[in-house]
Amino acid sequence: MANPLFDDRTVDFVLHDLLDASSLCRLPHFAEHGRETFDLYLTSCRKLAREQLFPAYRPMDTDTPRLEGGQVRVHPAMRELWSRMVELGIINASTPMELGGQQLPALLSVMGNAYLMAGNLSAAGYAGLTTGAAHLIEEFGDERLKRDYMARMYAGDWAGTMALTEPQAGSSLADVRTRATPTAEGHYLISGNKVFISGGDQDITENVVHLALARIDGAPAGTKGVSLFCVPKRRLINGTLIDNDCASAGVFHKLGWRGLPSIALNFGERGDCHGYLVGEAGRGLAHMFVMMNGARLMVGATATATASAAFHESLDYARTRPQGRPLAVRDPLTPQVPIIEHADVRRMLLRQKAIIEGSLALCAQAAKWADEAAHETDPEAKKRAQLLLDLITPATKTFPAEKGFESCALALQIFGGYGYTSEYPAESYLRDQKLNTLHEGTTGIQGMDLLGRKVMGDGGAGLQILSAEIAQAIEAARAAGDAQAPLSSLATQLEQAVADLGATTMELAQRGISGDRLGMMRHSTDYLEMFSLIAISWLWLRMATRATQSIAATPARGPFLRGKLKTAQYWFATDLPRTASIGALIRSGEESFDSARGEELE
Amino acid sequence: MKILVTIKRVEDYESKIKVKPDGTWIVTDGVNYRANPFDEIAVEEALRLRDANMPSEVIAVSVGSELSVNEIRSALAMGADKGILVKQAGWVDSDAVARCLQKVIEREKPDLVLMGKQAVDVDDNVTGQLLAEYLGWGQATFASKHESLESAEEKAKKPGVKLAADKASVEVIREIDGGLETLSVKLPAIVTVDLRLNVPRYASLPNIMKAKKKPVEELDPKALGVDVTPKVKVLKVEPPPARAAGIKVPDVAALVQKLHSDAKVI
Ligand SMILES: Cc1cc2nc3c(=O)[nH]c(=O)nc-3n(C[C@H](O)[C@H](O)[C@H](O)COP(=O)(O)OP(=O)(O)OC[C@H]3O[C@@H](n4cnc5c(N)ncnc54)[C@H](O)[C@@H]3O)c2cc1C
Repeated sequence: MANPLFDDRTVDFVLHDLLDASSLCRLPHFAEHGRETFDLYLTSCRKLAREQLFPAYRPMDTDTPRLEGGQVRVHPAMRELWSRMVELGIINASTPMELGGQQLPALLSVMGNAYLMAGNLSAAGYAGLTTGAAHLIEEFGDERLKRDYMARMYAGDWAGTMALTEPQAGSSLADVRTRATPTAEGHYLISGNKVFISGGDQDITENVVHLALARIDGAPAGTKGVSLFCVPKRRLINGTLIDNDCASAGVFHKLGWRGLPSIALNFGERGDCHGYLVGEAGRGLAHMFVMMNGARLMVGATATATASAAFHESLDYARTRPQGRPLAVRDPLTPQVPIIEHADVRRMLLRQKAIIEGSLALCAQAAKWADEAAHETDPEAKKRAQLLLDLITPATKTFPAEKGFESCALALQIFGGYGYTSEYPAESYLRDQKLNTLHEGTTGIQGMDLLGRKVMGDGGAGLQILSAEIAQAIEAARAAGDAQAPLSSLATQLEQAVADLGATTMELAQRGISGDRLGMMRHSTDYLEMFSLIAISWLWLRMATRATQSIAATPARGPFLRGKLKTAQYWFATDLPRTASIGALIRSGEESFDSARGEELE
Repeated sequence: MKILVTIKRVEDYESKIKVKPDGTWIVTDGVNYRANPFDEIAVEEALRLRDANMPSEVIAVSVGSELSVNEIRSALAMGADKGILVKQAGWVDSDAVARCLQKVIEREKPDLVLMGKQAVDVDDNVTGQLLAEYLGWGQATFASKHESLESAEEKAKKPGVKLAADKASVEVIREIDGGLETLSVKLPAIVTVDLRLNVPRYASLPNIMKAKKKPVEELDPKALGVDVTPKVKVLKVEPPPARAAGIKVPDVAALVQKLHSDAKVI
């Protein structure tokens, strides 16, 4: 069976039953859209992902980019795939119409992208990076940069990258050292070394435009000294492209995402690398942060996509691999049964489903808030959506990445020993998945962002709004009744967990107020996990409520909707209860690991 | 050149199709629908012919319920210029479809009609032939081409059905039992297309947005003077027999023996 990448019915269920995607079209910015444009767009993304991107996935994983004579050469299939993605309009799908885009809600572009990522994350990666880089110029660049660079990137003529990381500046971007020296002509001369720059060079497009962080000569140390620059591989001078002294110094050999080169990049080895300031001097990180929610949401969606592709491989295998007999059958002469007949294999399948569909709902909900935060006309609603988006982003990035890794491991487990070989793709999804807990801020950084900045930073305002949202879902679940599943007891269980999260947060706030900031932050990664488990449970309760409401009206969807109810019940039985012990751990302030020093850690 | 292309709403072959317990039809609840894949190839060919012979126009026509407007929209989103829906709920047999199309064609006067050779729902493979007969036009069925679907010509979206220099005929390469044959058909004509003619494009987002503004006209079969009462009676619908389990044979000799005595194919 060909891998469907995602279950279309589930994607439609999340979009329409859970989130009423068409309701976004009440906003003037999305008025040109409707269910019809959404469906047609998704159909095209599905076909592109299944028919073009997916067949190139394994070849691109095997035959990886090489550095030859200073030029990175990528898999030859990529040129065709790039053209197909550009043609479909994915690079500028959500860009304003006046800039040639189609103002598609982020909700739909994220879902469309999820299919492309599931089909071939490296191929889709080139496009996603280009959109992100062009968007930075759109937001902060001057007219010349928009005309000369952004327009060509949105048109798919050129590609883009994010060039932030340096050897000494990974998580700590305030330590960026790349230099930018002002010149009389207005441009800056850039010099410095970047590492891990994805798509940093390739032979697909004639030019690559880096959005790079650098420090203007004489700028203060730390965050306030970092500025954002547009640094093209070839600069455009009077209509001609001139080499801009960006040298590819090496291609990293990576665990996964092998079709997309991550390279070491040296700017200004010959002293001739021009960079153009984007936005305000000294606000480079602040400008980057504006894009951060979107970038982190895309990581969550990619993690979900990778887990989903792996899940479908394992589901197909479980249905076709004969091994063993049911517990009750002792006769060795009876034929073996497909492994899906074994309860433990079904457990591994349902657990993947719970993680993947919970993650999908989380990413979709975050994307919808992003749309509302950007385009609501009512200032109150706009502010509210922004608070919710800011709050949920660390979980949207981390839960799919961390649990997606577990999910990919379960997919591999279902293949038994064969999963450990490269005969089957389960191993490559596990490799691909690992990046998502690392880039765009590691899990540790996300934990600190959630607790320190998002929860404590705004005095708990965002958390209060989210709690009110959850209370509404609890009401709705109780109202839907227990005819199909014990919704009211799930509702009560979630109510207790939310109260627990509230109490835990209060206690940590007290610690902060009393001056024990280290004590407040010690368990920030645990806090992120507790928060994420509750957010996912909230989404599962809502999905179960919608499934209950729909079963009577659309009996043909019965098996599909019962699948949602079973998965919600599973999640509430296995994972939501864990919030109680994590909460207790956080409140206890347990500090063995923190106080362990020197030899104690050896 | 004016090209008319047909597009039918059919059950998605990926859906699990079940026969109703009383054997009158299939269970439609929970089934997904899509455009007939053969028709998508016809739309693609129409767009290529149009673009190679501008100025031209492509009209996408469907006969079916109001839901068929979705499939017309998908043709418009691929790039067709306008749509016509002959609205008729319920099952319409191939003959009635051909007669509806005849009326639309008499009104629109296209130079060329492109159709899928068959629809994947009932696989009749007769509508194009009936339509040519009713119109008294020439026909070329099962259009295909020499170049592979991986070829440079295909990637460049070159039409496989070629318009003659004098624009009075088209050259059609068609699949026949022994291979391919080439026909020249005087226009106006009906051409039905086979699977290997082209790879249909995906609707791009810009074209999806443009399609929203393209007109779709609705016509009523009665107003066209067509009686759509089916001439074909459905006596009984039944699922194909379940495939029997395979067997393993110990060696080639046993295989030849089985093929001869049981399967009776050699
Ligand atoms: C395949 C790949 C592609 C990439 N693509 C790009 C790209 O396109 N552009 C780009 O700019 N970068 C890119 N990166 C870089 C990536 O964003 C960094 O690797 C990431 O930010 C982590 O930085 P680091 O590797 O220096 O790890 P470090 O920052 O050294 O982190 C090491 C460990 O220490 C922990 N840690 C660090 N600081 C703290 C702290 N203050 N408190 C608690 N724990 C801490 C981290 O959580 C982590 O576990 C890519 C990386 C990879 C592997």
